[in-house]
Amino acid sequence: MKTLRVFRSLIKDGFLEVTHGSRAYHIWMAVLSFIMLFGMYNYSIQLEEGLSATGMTDRVSWGLYISNFTFLVGVAAAAVMLVLPAYVLKNIDFKQAVLIGEGLAVAALCMCLAFVVADMGGPARLWHMLPVIGVFNFPNSMLTWDVLVLNGYLFINITIPMYILVMRYQGKVPNPKIYIPGVFLSVFWAVGIHMITAFLYQGLQARPFWNNALLGPRFLASAFAAGPALIIIVLAIIRKFTAFKVPDNTIKKISMIVTVAAQINLIMLISELFKEFYAPTHHSISAVYLFFGLEGKTALLPWIWTSISLNVVATVALTFHKVRSNLKILYVLCGMLFIAIWIEKGFGLIVPGFIPGPWGKIAEYTPSLVEISVTLGIWAMGAFIFTILAKTGIAVELGQIVYKKK
Amino acid sequence: MTTKLVLKALTIVICLFVISCKHSDEHKYHTVVDKIEAETVTPENLTVTSETFNENIKTVKIEEDGFEFLIPERKSQITSFNCTECHTKPIDKLKQDQVGEKAAHWNIKLAHAGSEIMNCATCHTSNNMDNLHSLTNSEIDFNYSYKLCSQCHQKEFKDWKGGAHGKQLGGWAPPRLSNTCVNCHNPHKPAFEKRWPVRFNTQKVKERQ
Amino acid sequence: MSNDSKKWYSFNLNKSDKSDSCGCGSNSGSCSDEKPKDGYDQIMDVSMDRRSAFKKITAGFLIGAGAVSSSCSVVSGDESKEKSGIEWDEYFKGNYKLMTDEDKTETVDRLTRSYELRTGKKLNMSSKDAEEDVLFGYAFNISKCQGYMDCVNACVEENNQDRASEMQYIRIHEMEDGKGFNFEESDDNYYHEVPADGHFYMGTQCFHCDNPPCVEVCPVQATWKEKDGIVVIDYDWCVGCRYCMAACPYDGRRFNWKTPEVPEQEVNKNQHYLGNRLRKKGVMEKCTFCIQRSREGQNPACVEACPTGSRTFGNLLDPKSNIRWILENKKVFRLKEDLGTEPKFWYYMD
Repeated sequence: MKTLRVFRSLIKDGFLEVTHGSRAYHIWMAVLSFIMLFGMYNYSIQLEEGLSATGMTDRVSWGLYISNFTFLVGVAAAAVMLVLPAYVLKNIDFKQAVLIGEGLAVAALCMCLAFVVADMGGPARLWHMLPVIGVFNFPNSMLTWDVLVLNGYLFINITIPMYILVMRYQGKVPNPKIYIPGVFLSVFWAVGIHMITAFLYQGLQARPFWNNALLGPRFLASAFAAGPALIIIVLAIIRKFTAFKVPDNTIKKISMIVTVAAQINLIMLISELFKEFYAPTHHSISAVYLFFGLEGKTALLPWIWTSISLNVVATVALTFHKVRSNLKILYVLCGMLFIAIWIEKGFGLIVPGFIPGPWGKIAEYTPSLVEISVTLGIWAMGAFIFTILAKTGIAVELGQIVYKKK
Repeated sequence: MTTKLVLKALTIVICLFVISCKHSDEHKYHTVVDKIEAETVTPENLTVTSETFNENIKTVKIEEDGFEFLIPERKSQITSFNCTECHTKPIDKLKQDQVGEKAAHWNIKLAHAGSEIMNCATCHTSNNMDNLHSLTNSEIDFNYSYKLCSQCHQKEFKDWKGGAHGKQLGGWAPPRLSNTCVNCHNPHKPAFEKRWPVRFNTQKVKERQ
Repeated sequence: MSNDSKKWYSFNLNKSDKSDSCGCGSNSGSCSDEKPKDGYDQIMDVSMDRRSAFKKITAGFLIGAGAVSSSCSVVSGDESKEKSGIEWDEYFKGNYKLMTDEDKTETVDRLTRSYELRTGKKLNMSSKDAEEDVLFGYAFNISKCQGYMDCVNACVEENNQDRASEMQYIRIHEMEDGKGFNFEESDDNYYHEVPADGHFYMGTQCFHCDNPPCVEVCPVQATWKEKDGIVVIDYDWCVGCRYCMAACPYDGRRFNWKTPEVPEQEVNKNQHYLGNRLRKKGVMEKCTFCIQRSREGQNPACVEACPTGSRTFGNLLDPKSNIRWILENKKVFRLKEDLGTEPKFWYYMD
């Protein structure tokens, strides 16, 4: 009963906190709301017309939505990279970063789920997937595994920080015996969500571009580069705009993680390229399309080469300790890496899987405006959720909102 | 405590994998051919029939090398059969009588093998137009004209009897009713003709631009 | 011991009638007239109960929100009331695969009635199950196909495919002689006199794999393999995630990107629930070997339409069928056999 009262009070205080802020904050939230509304309007068009409002066709049947979904699963998984050292290795530096990281994971997961729903042909029939009242094709369908692990991960990532925040809110010290098992679980879980998302594609013998044992590990490596890179950028912004103190050391330590992951990712990329192009088989044709184009169809070329050059430059630069220590440069490099991986794990991965089609037909994919708007709307929703979570979290951490016994 | 947790997590993972192993009857056979071999039934036990779909087709039953099936009856489909209603005399005599007049069947041009191999008389019998004849001059009924074709087209004949050549009418279910040679091939001009496809998909063109 | 010696209080839900009719003399054992349920029944009953509970709860919410005003409104006519009632029941019905025969008849009745309400025309919709001792297979003679595409037209008409997007289940690939089965260089949308010199033709469609990857991946079991080997889709259960489409190595599946359009006079009214009944937007569809025809013993429309006899359809379990003779006597092969999907669609040459 008491917990409930505390919780209610936290919600109330949190609400007050997120509705008050500087002018910049209000503008930021207003812009996000506007983009969200615009996205929702476009989604209503898509609902009305069907998915023909998107650029997808029978040839390329997954596009921007699933690309973003795949990428964001990685971002969500990456939060755990910060959880582990912070709570288990007693590395004090990371504690603030972890709160941000988990907030990011929650936002990313909400976006993932939103992208999946946006991609459905019959969102009204989604209840068919609910266990018990619907039919849940578990364990055969990897999609059902994904639904389970994503929701489980969402649950874990809401409960752990919530527990810590509620304790802090009351001015108590969180009990490690309660949250450390959860932290451990979430570590396994984070690896799980990304591996299972990779298995979603990896398990399809129909698509040789995905049916590749390296896909899972590469997902992990790229996620652990892109996720923390985003966290660094977010921390930099928070440091600038709030009273929340994030020591340089924390950012530098995270940049270490980014660097190692980006290096591993690059090695795997080289391995993949070697396999596809040293002795090209019939199955390398999607890769040829992605990197060089086929029969004059070259829509992905600018994207993938931008991605690869950004990736290589950022990874090489990050490798040098001196470059990395300069925070300004670090932020730029993190931004580059994030964009590079977003392209590579997004439509650089999903679209070529469908091109050429099973009978060799090349039909390209260009997202429609409706699709792009909905995507922007969902990203805005993610940013909105994250801002709310982060603002409340920071306020609690800083002791700005405290539970008052009546 | 850490190791215990790791162990527990591992146990859960292993359990999940065990549960996810498929152990249904679905995967009893290695290939679909194994399945076909194992589950083949005696034809007498089959209940589905295609009789209703063939009701309107007049058929004759044939038996060749152990294959027993129906083919469409032919004679009733020929306009103005019996031929002898006009062909009252042998061809030579008829031609003599009608010099200068346009002959019947003037539009039939034989495009079947070379002229040194085949002419009208290879199949048609000058003094008995109601029947065809084989290479050895045995009489062949119009309803069983496939016998005539099979003299040369042995390979096609074999495939047709088995069911790899030709077309099954009505339904897949027994009794089997197959087109006979002349139902698809004009015996005077047996090759299929070139023509335009009946369909052009404009959407596919758009997709591939 | 008598019944009133019971020392606990129990809710007697749904069983008020039965407890009276149960004339058990002894307190051991269960009533003889109450048939013990097997596992399947139990699971099904429970899930059905829960679904109806879910339905009621949702109804409660919606009525609260006033969203079902049309179905509750006093002003609207009987027909529109009936219509929304049908829509309501259709929305909450279960997966066809798990339906009892009774449920199947009910949904078929609803669908035909709903069509009648919309257009005033009657449909003949079947829910016929697979026959015993039947396993459907298909053979395609590459030497014979001339590329006329009569099969494609027949298929579109028979199966009520969307005319606007020119959806077609069958693709005929024009291949160049001497290049083997080179799908990359083939063309499946040619328009010139056929057969073109130096070319041959090969048709593809859903191969009704014995080990279908599309069925494995469906998260809601909206697609499955029937006993007679036909891979079907419950159009009303499909959520439209298109995972099956990504999983199919044969380009056998199609998606309704928008509401399919079939002119009323062209609608084939001889339908099957799992076959050619009218689809809605956002669901998958594909070749069903014309289930509405083949289950009755008839050949699929493509087989019937083919003027060259390149297409053979039949019962693989009948040793006297044409298709069995082909498999046993011709050099048959299937496409992408290395994937282990075990298609039931064979190719052969003269």
